[in-house]
Amino acid sequence: MSLIQTENLTKIYGCGETAVTALDHVNMQVNAGEFVAVMGPSGCGKSTLLHLLGGLDRSTEGKVSIDGTSLAEMKDNDLTKLRRKRIGFVFQFYNLIPVLTAIENAALPVTLDGVRPAEARQRAAEWLERFGLGDRLNNRPDQLSGGQQQRVAIARALVAEPALVLADEPTGNLDTKASDEIAALLRQVSKEYGRAVIMVTHNPRIAAYADRIVFLKDGKIVDETLLERKNGDNAKMLADKIKRIGD
Amino acid sequence: MNLQLTLAARYLAGRKLRTFLTTLAVVFGVLVIFGMNIILPTMIAALQINAQGAAGMVDFSVTHVSGEAFTADLLPTIQAVDGVRAVSVSLNRIVNLPADFYDNDPARPDVLTALSLVGVEPEAARSVRSYPVTAGRYLEASDSASTVISQTLADSLSVNVGDTFSIPTVNGITELRVAGILPPRTQPGNEEVLVTLAQAQEMTGETSRVNTIDINVETTAGEARHAEIQANIEASVGEDYHVGTLMAGTEMFASLKLGQAMMNLFGVLALFMGGFIIFNTFRTVVAERRRDIGMLRALGASRGTIIGMILAEGLLQGVIGTAAGLLFGYLLGAGIVKLAGPMLSQYINLKMGEPVVTPALLSMSIFLGVGVTVLAGLLPARSASKVTPLDALRPSVAEVEFKRRAGTGSVIGAVIVALTTLALFSGNPALIVPGGFLFLVGLAMIAPLLVRPITNIFGRLIALIYAREGTGELAQGNLTRQSARVAATASATMLGLVVIVAAGGLISSLTVTLYDLMRKSLGSDYLFIPPSIALWNSNVGAHAGFADQLRAVEGVEAVSTLRFAGSIANGQAVSLMGIDPATFPEVSGLHFQEGSESAYQALADGHALIANSAFVTAAGAQVGDMLELITPNGPVEYRLVAVATDFLNVKITTAFISQADMQADFGTTEDVFIQLNLAPGADRAAADASIRAIAVDYPQFKIISGKTYFQSMKSQMDAAFAAMYFLLAMLALPSLIAMLNTLTIGVIERTREIGMLRAVGATRKQIRTMVLAEALLLAAIGTAFGILGGLYLGYTFVSAMASIFPLGYAFPLTGVLAAIAVGLLFGALAAIIPARQAARMNVVEALRYE
Ligand SMILES: Nc1ncnc2c1ncn2[C@@H]1O[C@H](COP(=O)(O)OP(=O)(O)O)[C@@H](O)[C@H]1O
Ligand SMILES: [Mg+2]
Repeated sequence: MSLIQTENLTKIYGCGETAVTALDHVNMQVNAGEFVAVMGPSGCGKSTLLHLLGGLDRSTEGKVSIDGTSLAEMKDNDLTKLRRKRIGFVFQFYNLIPVLTAIENAALPVTLDGVRPAEARQRAAEWLERFGLGDRLNNRPDQLSGGQQQRVAIARALVAEPALVLADEPTGNLDTKASDEIAALLRQVSKEYGRAVIMVTHNPRIAAYADRIVFLKDGKIVDETLLERKNGDNAKMLADKIKRIGD
Repeated sequence: MNLQLTLAARYLAGRKLRTFLTTLAVVFGVLVIFGMNIILPTMIAALQINAQGAAGMVDFSVTHVSGEAFTADLLPTIQAVDGVRAVSVSLNRIVNLPADFYDNDPARPDVLTALSLVGVEPEAARSVRSYPVTAGRYLEASDSASTVISQTLADSLSVNVGDTFSIPTVNGITELRVAGILPPRTQPGNEEVLVTLAQAQEMTGETSRVNTIDINVETTAGEARHAEIQANIEASVGEDYHVGTLMAGTEMFASLKLGQAMMNLFGVLALFMGGFIIFNTFRTVVAERRRDIGMLRALGASRGTIIGMILAEGLLQGVIGTAAGLLFGYLLGAGIVKLAGPMLSQYINLKMGEPVVTPALLSMSIFLGVGVTVLAGLLPARSASKVTPLDALRPSVAEVEFKRRAGTGSVIGAVIVALTTLALFSGNPALIVPGGFLFLVGLAMIAPLLVRPITNIFGRLIALIYAREGTGELAQGNLTRQSARVAATASATMLGLVVIVAAGGLISSLTVTLYDLMRKSLGSDYLFIPPSIALWNSNVGAHAGFADQLRAVEGVEAVSTLRFAGSIANGQAVSLMGIDPATFPEVSGLHFQEGSESAYQALADGHALIANSAFVTAAGAQVGDMLELITPNGPVEYRLVAVATDFLNVKITTAFISQADMQADFGTTEDVFIQLNLAPGADRAAADASIRAIAVDYPQFKIISGKTYFQSMKSQMDAAFAAMYFLLAMLALPSLIAMLNTLTIGVIERTREIGMLRAVGATRKQIRTMVLAEALLLAAIGTAFGILGGLYLGYTFVSAMASIFPLGYAFPLTGVLAAIAVGLLFGALAAIIPARQAARMNVVEALRYE
């Protein structure tokens, strides 16, 4: 059984004449430890898909199941718990809490889960050290570079040992070098630590770090590609493909 | 530390100025309530100590409930009570001394400001107290003009056995010869001047009367027997007498209580504003932190966690603010006790001890201070908990939410405003006072609805001013689009200004009425003022002959005097002032609220009284009622013929009766306050000389011209009003800073829009003017609201005063002008920072801002 799967997932914003169909009967599944990139032109529904997968929003039609349980039937409190324990989020703007230090930010999900503060810090520190932030534990977000902030965000996403990490344009706000580092880190998260990672991006070079690419257009899946790791220039291939789809 | 507390503390620390200012409001409220309520119990404790000091070793003291002197007919009855061992009558009288009476040196602080004159029957007195004379001898029944004093008093007067010293009495200055000296006094309270009963009666004009019966009872085995004896005594003396420690200072309690009530009202207002400011700040905080809150929700924070976080912030502020308020309140209370101590001991003969803090006061202050902040955080916390994880990722949602909530709020607000306006017209103070506060709440809630019409009006004005810039309309558009945020800002401004306008209303009404009253009741050519005004029973006045002597002076047209007696009517302690119905209206006068000058005739006809509104309210009496006054000779019926007040007794429950009635029913003929008018065309210099020559024997009176007194009272009152204005202005400050807050947030929210404006070619100057114009518009709206609310609240204050002292409501033009000036000034000031921030914004960065 796959870790997460959708059935005819549909999201319509607004109603009547102004209704926008952001997702249109999407069916997809992601297995544990898999690294999937979602690509597509702006406004095609990538973020909406991620939000629904993460239980941040509710679908209009169809369903999302994690570990075989449908999210639609869960109450707000259960969804909250599910997010805390099973899902990690990474966003374009890092969304760290500005008044907390790196280690406190990274520890948030377990702190919220009621883990003892000392242990929560211990766990957060481990992740931050793995990501090369061992000397930055007590810095506030405004004292960190964009790349460093995003690493804190990834540490935060992993600290509760979730099965699934959702990343919405994690490199959208970073320069080329930092982008590559973050993408590599997400690949490491998937391969070394065995988490499923679903990453939205419109950068072919970043998408090329994934195992599989899902192409979205106007709320529909229009193509899926498995990437060969051995040879060829995946980034160029993806760039060509996205250009074709965009037209 | 707990996560919520950590977050709360960090967020608060991140906004130090804002935290400081909002907390300040709480500090202020707690400070006022706590500090002021320290002062009263301290004074009460001092009063009790004084009373106990006077009671000495006596088991029980019997006094008349009115505090007046009585004939000692009861003595045999008490003596017959089972368990009573010894009884002694005495006449105790506090003699307030005029300044520099003994040292004649204004530069040196006076050691003695009051004495206790104690008249006793020497042998009987010895049966209840011991008088271990160390030099000279004890009093003898046949003594005249002799006294026994303590070593301490002898030292401060520098006298010895055989020497004499003088003391002011109703018959002028009396010389007393020191017959004996007692050991140094150890008890607190006034130094006693022990004389024979006859001597004391002569010196105070209380012919053949006493005011205390001291009782010693058998040495008892236990409490129960003691209580039984007390009950027996109580039964034997009847309801008109009080058994226990001396009843002192009932008059003072009344005015202390009133002051306390006023300060409490002020404190509650301060806390109310504090709560409102915190509420407002939290609302903006929630809007400002929407992304953080959404993110926490996305990470798995439950709704409860978010509520807890916001409440923790309120709690922290509440706790810190309350702690600071308690500290400063204590310092204030203790400071006033310290500073006022010398003054109080001078004027009202009260030695203050250490400040008293009751546990009840402490817990109430904490409860109010912390409670208000937590309560204020409740609604914003709830709306914070409704922030969804998606709000962290999409900026537009919260604005929608804000608007929807504003809709239902304004309906409720409109209902509240309508109801409270009705309450205003009802004229019933019980409705008007809470109505005043509710009106403000309603106004704040209705604010979003009023934003559009008001911005339209002011917008046109601003557009005219900035016609060439083309930014006025933009500012106006911004405001109408974000009516909820505008309403939050405007109501913060409103609160600040409400206070100024309301205070203005109260003060202008007070000044108009009080000055008018002062002119009327103190407008005579001369005033003879005793050491303590309004605490009549501790003054030694003059016998009636003194006024007659004054009347005989060439050029004197009329002399009017006030006499004092304490009494109880309808269970309410009342100060009776005896006036001469014929001369009083000529020289002085009352301000009538009900009835008219014809009431004086009713007084002359006998057994009628004119009461002031403080009394009428406290006793629940009405014109035409028959009131039973407790007199030393039993209850006597008086008819209430009018409600009127004079300046001196405004605050104290007072009633005026004729001097003839006072003499008949209370046996008092002592004049404690005298007013005198010269005839037109009299030789003023000659008259002045004769008057002062006669008055030499009565140094207890300070003689000044009505005009001078009026001036000095006026400047005192002006100073008091200025202090009150200042206190209130302090309250206004934090709420005006709250406006800066919301204004800044408004700019942050529109970062992208401003970037776009810059990108399409708006100059920095244009951006600056736009933000400035917006701030001025906001300020104008807030000011308009503030004036509306302030006029209402001011009217509320004035009608709340009605029970004590009815005022004519005077429109506070200065207050309104001040509010407009302050409002617009603050609006412009508050805009400077955000305007610069907006103008400096990096265009590319701004456009990227989500
Ligand atoms: N809260 C919303 N209300 C209305 N329409 C929305 C909302 N969120 C997204 N949309 C619309 O849904 C579509 C998909 O948006 P989104 O998932 O954010 O696209 P992407 O992330 O691929 O750029 C877009 O047309 C967008 O305008
Ligand atoms: Mg002196």
